[in-house]
Amino acid sequence: MENMQAVNSFVAAYLKKKGFKEAEQLLEDLQNKESAPIDFHNDPDLAKFIHHFSQSEDDVAQYQDGYSKLRSWTYSSLDLYKHELLRVLYPVFIHSFMDLVAKGHLQEARTFFNAFHEDHELMHSRDLQKLEGVLSQSHLEEMEFACSLRQNKVNIKICQYSYDLLLQYLHKTQSTAMLGVINEHINFQVTSVEPGSISDDTEVVTLIGSCQDAASLINQKEIHWGLLEDSLEERLEKEGGLLSDSEKTEAENKEGDVDDSKKRSVEGGKQGASTKKLKKDKAVNATAKSARPEAKPTPAAPRVKPELTLPVMSTEVEQSILEDLRNRVQLSSVALPSVSFYTFLNTHNGLNCSSISQDGSLVAGGFSDSSLKVWDMAKLGQQAGSSTLQGENDSTSSEHVAGPNGVKRSYTLFQGHSGPVYSATFSPLGDFILSSSADTTIRLWSTKLNANLVCYKGHNYPVWDVQFSPVGHYFASSSHDRTARIWSMDRIQPLRIMAGHLSDVDCVQWHANCNYIATGSSDRTVRLWDVQSGECVRIFIGHRSMILSLAMSPDGRYMASGDEDGTIMMWDLSSGRCVTPLMGHTSCVWSLAFSCEGTLLASGSADCTVKLWDVTTSTKAPKNEDKSGNPNRLRSLKTLATKSSPVYSLRFSRRNLLFAAGVLSKNV
Amino acid sequence: MSIVPKETIEVIAQSIGINNLSDDAALSLAPDVEYRMREIMQEAIKCMRHSRRTILTTDDVDGALNLRNVEPVYGFTSGGPLQFKRAIGHRDLFYIDDSDVDLKDVIEAPLPKAPLDTGVVCHWLAIEGVQPAIPENAPVGAIAAPSNGTTYEQKEELPVDIKLPVKHVLSRELQLYFDKITELTLRKSDSTLFKEALVSLATDSGLHPLVPYFTYFISDEVSRGLNDYSLLFALMRVVWSLLQNPHIHIEPYLHQLMPSVVTCLVSKKLGNRIADNHWELRDFTAKLVASICKRFGHVYNTLQTRLTKTLLNALLDPKRALTQHYGAVQGLAALGPNVVRLLILPNLEPYLRLLEPELLLEKQKNEMKRYEAWRIYGVLLRAAGQSIFERLKNFPPLPSTPAHAIWKSKEKVVTEAPTLNNIHASR
Repeated sequence: MENMQAVNSFVAAYLKKKGFKEAEQLLEDLQNKESAPIDFHNDPDLAKFIHHFSQSEDDVAQYQDGYSKLRSWTYSSLDLYKHELLRVLYPVFIHSFMDLVAKGHLQEARTFFNAFHEDHELMHSRDLQKLEGVLSQSHLEEMEFACSLRQNKVNIKICQYSYDLLLQYLHKTQSTAMLGVINEHINFQVTSVEPGSISDDTEVVTLIGSCQDAASLINQKEIHWGLLEDSLEERLEKEGGLLSDSEKTEAENKEGDVDDSKKRSVEGGKQGASTKKLKKDKAVNATAKSARPEAKPTPAAPRVKPELTLPVMSTEVEQSILEDLRNRVQLSSVALPSVSFYTFLNTHNGLNCSSISQDGSLVAGGFSDSSLKVWDMAKLGQQAGSSTLQGENDSTSSEHVAGPNGVKRSYTLFQGHSGPVYSATFSPLGDFILSSSADTTIRLWSTKLNANLVCYKGHNYPVWDVQFSPVGHYFASSSHDRTARIWSMDRIQPLRIMAGHLSDVDCVQWHANCNYIATGSSDRTVRLWDVQSGECVRIFIGHRSMILSLAMSPDGRYMASGDEDGTIMMWDLSSGRCVTPLMGHTSCVWSLAFSCEGTLLASGSADCTVKLWDVTTSTKAPKNEDKSGNPNRLRSLKTLATKSSPVYSLRFSRRNLLFAAGVLSKNV
Repeated sequence: MSIVPKETIEVIAQSIGINNLSDDAALSLAPDVEYRMREIMQEAIKCMRHSRRTILTTDDVDGALNLRNVEPVYGFTSGGPLQFKRAIGHRDLFYIDDSDVDLKDVIEAPLPKAPLDTGVVCHWLAIEGVQPAIPENAPVGAIAAPSNGTTYEQKEELPVDIKLPVKHVLSRELQLYFDKITELTLRKSDSTLFKEALVSLATDSGLHPLVPYFTYFISDEVSRGLNDYSLLFALMRVVWSLLQNPHIHIEPYLHQLMPSVVTCLVSKKLGNRIADNHWELRDFTAKLVASICKRFGHVYNTLQTRLTKTLLNALLDPKRALTQHYGAVQGLAALGPNVVRLLILPNLEPYLRLLEPELLLEKQKNEMKRYEAWRIYGVLLRAAGQSIFERLKNFPPLPSTPAHAIWKSKEKVVTEAPTLNNIHASR
C-alpha cells in the first residue's frame, strides 16, 4: 500500500505540474472509489513505469515514436489477436494527437496526424475531419466532440490474452507515452472468452464511454412496439370474416398472453431479458401461424393502447381505406411492386425536398427560393394528354403564355416562408401540407383552400424535417437546435420537446402506433422517444455518418435508417440492436419506405437508383435463431436505375403501389 | 503548419485596413482561421445535405454563415464559375478577376429569356418489378453493362436521345497481332515474315474479332495507296488469306471489302512506275473476285450480277483506259466460261473493231498503249478460247473444229499470231 501511495502522489504531482485537471480529478475519483476494472495499483511493474513516466521529459518525439512502434507491433501480431489489438490503435491515435495539441506542440501534432491518419480513414473519416481542424488548446476546449472525447474513457472489449500481450509489449518497450495514453483514456473490459467471438460486434469499441453506458441503460427500458388496438386492418379481418373461429380464439389467447406478459414483466422489474424471452415465445407463435397456407397479413404484433387521443375518422374515409386494404397487392420477393416515378424538370438546382401524398395524387416540392409548390397529378394528366413528353412541351408553352398572369400554372404555389423549405409532409388524407423551413418556422397549408392556415414558431434554428403522424393531427419536427418537437395542429406551441441529441436532428419518423417517434441525427445515432413522456427510450449506435432517412416497418417491430455513405441499417426496436446493415448504395440515402405488409423495403438514393430489399428473410432469421449473424441475409432484390434523377422521396400507397420522386439533374 | 498561409492572413488584414500586422499575430491567427473555416464548411455540408444535393454551392456556405449569425458573403451567387487569378509577385495569393462593367451596357442589354418553369412529369419506373424500355428510363443495356460497380454513375451522364456506342473490346494480344500484321503489310510486304503472316491469317482460329479492323484497314489503305503497287498487292494477299481462313465469318464485311477489291481489278492506274507489274495484280485480283463470287454467290444473289454489270460496263465503255478493259476482261474470264460465253462473246466483234486501231503499229504510235492493247487481245483470246473449249468438251469426237472456229473470226490479225502465242506462253 505504501508503494501505491507513493505512486499516487507521484502521479498527482505530475498531473498538477502538467495542468491535467481532468485527469487529476479522475485520479482522485479512482482513489476514492477503488473500483477500476483492472487493478493497476498493485502491479509493481506498472508503478515503476508510471514513476518513470512522471520523471521523464515530456518528449514530443515519444508520441510519434511510441505510436509508430505500437502500430507496427500490432500489425505484425498474431492474426488471432490482431483485430482486437487494432481496435486499441484508434483511441490511442486520437488521444495522442490531442495530447500533443494540448501541450502546444502544434507543428508536431500536425505531422503526427498526417503520418498516421490514413489508417483510420475507412472507419472514422468523419471524426478525423473534425479533429484535423483542431489547432490549439482553445479549440480543444471549444469543440464539443473533442471535449466529450477527453472527458470520457473509451471502452474496449478485449480478451484476456490480447490484453496480456499488449501490456507485455508496453512494459518491454518502455513506451511510457503510449502507456500513459492508454491508462488515461482507455477502459478495458477484459473478458475471458475466445478472441474470435467478439469480433463483429459494433459495440465493441465506443468512443464515448458514458454515452454508451447510458445507451445500454436506456435500451433496457421497456417499449411496446405493437400496433394500435382496433386499427382498421384488424377491423377488416373481423369484418371480412377472414378469420375462422378457431383462429379467432387463438388470437384472443394470444392477446391474453400479451397481457400476462406485460404483468410479468412489470413484476420482474422491467428486465430486458424477460421481455426478450416473451418476444421470442411470441415469435414462435407467429411463425407457427404463418406456416399456415394463408397469405393474409397476420399481425404477429401485440396490440397496444394509444397514448395520445387520436382524431376520429369519418365513416367515408374509413370506407375508402378499407376498400384500399381489400384491394391491396400482396408484395413479396417474387412479386415486386410497380413504381411510378415523378420527375421534376427545370428546377434549376432549387428543389430541396419533395413529398407525395398517401394516394399519390398530390406531389409537393419545397424550393430554396422559399416557395412550396404542389402539383395535382390528376389535373396534370388532363392537361398533358396521354404522352408525357408531349405534355411536357404543352405545359411549358402554356405556362409561358399564361405565366405572368399567374392564372394557368400547372401547380399551386404556396408562398409564406422566408427561407429555403427543407421538408414537406402531407396529412394522411391529403387535405393539409406541413412545410418546414430555414426561417425556423413550420407552416400548415390547406390544399383545399390553397392558403396558409397556421405558422408554428418554436424552433430556434432551421427546421430540417417535419412529419405528420400516421393518424394525422399530430406532427413531429426536427431542427438544427438539436431538439425534436411534437406538435398538434390546433396548438401553436409544441406539446413535447425531445432533447438529447449531441448534434443536429436531421430526420424524424413516427412509429406505426403513434406512441413513439424516431429521430436521426448528425451525431450518427438514431434515438427512439416516447411521445407521452418525452423520454428517450432507445439509442441506436452504429452508423458512421449523418443519418438522412428513417422508416418504420408497418408491424412496428423494425426500423430502417439510411445515412450519408449509402449504408442502410435495420434495427430491432425491442433489443435496440442492428439486425443487419444493407450495403449497396454508393451515395446518400435520401428516402426509405416499407411496403404496407412489411415484406419489402424500398430505398432511394443520390446515386440515381431505387433499390428494393427483401426484409422477410432477415426479420425471420433472428426470430428463429435469436441471433443477428450473417449480414448477407437481407438481400437486394432489384435495383431500378433512373435516368440521372436522384431519388428524393418514396411512398407506398395503401394498395402497395410505390411512388418515387426525383429531380432530373444533368450534372450527376 | 496551418493550411492557411501566413500571407493570406496579412492580405486579409490589409484589406480591412490593418497594415502593420505583426508576423507573430498572423502566425497565431492562421490556425484559428483554419478552424473557423472548417467549422463553417461542416455546417455548409449539413445545409447541402438538407438541400438534397451532393455538390456544395455558395448558397450552402451562406446558409452556414446564417446559422452562425454571420453576415453572408455577397456576390458569389451568380452561378458562373469563379475565375481565380494569381497575384503577380505573390506565390500563394489569388484573387477573383472582377472586370468593370459599364452600367449602360447592362441596362441596354435585351432581357434574357425567362427560365422554364418547374414541372413534373410521371412515368413508370417499373411495372411489377420490371423496368419498361421507354425513353424516360435509363437504357437497359447501360444498366447491365457496368457490372463491376465503379463505373456505375457514368451511364447517367448521357442526354436523352443518344444511344450508347457499343464498346468493342479487343484483347491486348489481338491488338498486338493486328499492329504487327498491318505494319508488315505496309512496310515489308516482300519479306518471308509477311508470307508467314499470310499463312497465319489464313489458318488461325481466333482472328474473328479483328475482321472489322482488317476490312477497314484494307479499304482505307486501298483508297489512299493506289500509287503503291506493292502495297496493293500485299493488301490483296491479305484479303485472299482472310478469305481462306475457315474460322472467319467474313460475309457481313464483304460489302466493305468488295469495292476495294474491284478497284484493284479495274482501276485505271495501279502503281506509278512502269516497272510495276500491275497485270499480275489484276490477274490475282480477278482470281480473288472469282473465288469470292463462288463462295458467297449463293448467299448474296445479287453479288455476281452486280459484279458482272460493273465489269461489263467498264469493258464496253470506249472512253475507259485499256488497263481498265484488261481488268474487266480478266475479271469476267475468271468468273467462268459461261459468263464469258454470255457476256463477252456477243460483244467480241464490236469490241475488236474498237481495239483494232490500237493494235496496229502504224495507227498507234505509243508503244505503251500498243502493248496494252495486245495484252487485252491476249486475254480476250484466252477467255474466248477457254469458253469455247469448255463448250466443246462435251463433244469429244470433233477434234479439229475448235481451232478453226477461233481463227475464222480473227482472219485480220492472223499475221500476228506468233506474237500472241509468245505472250501466251510467257504467262
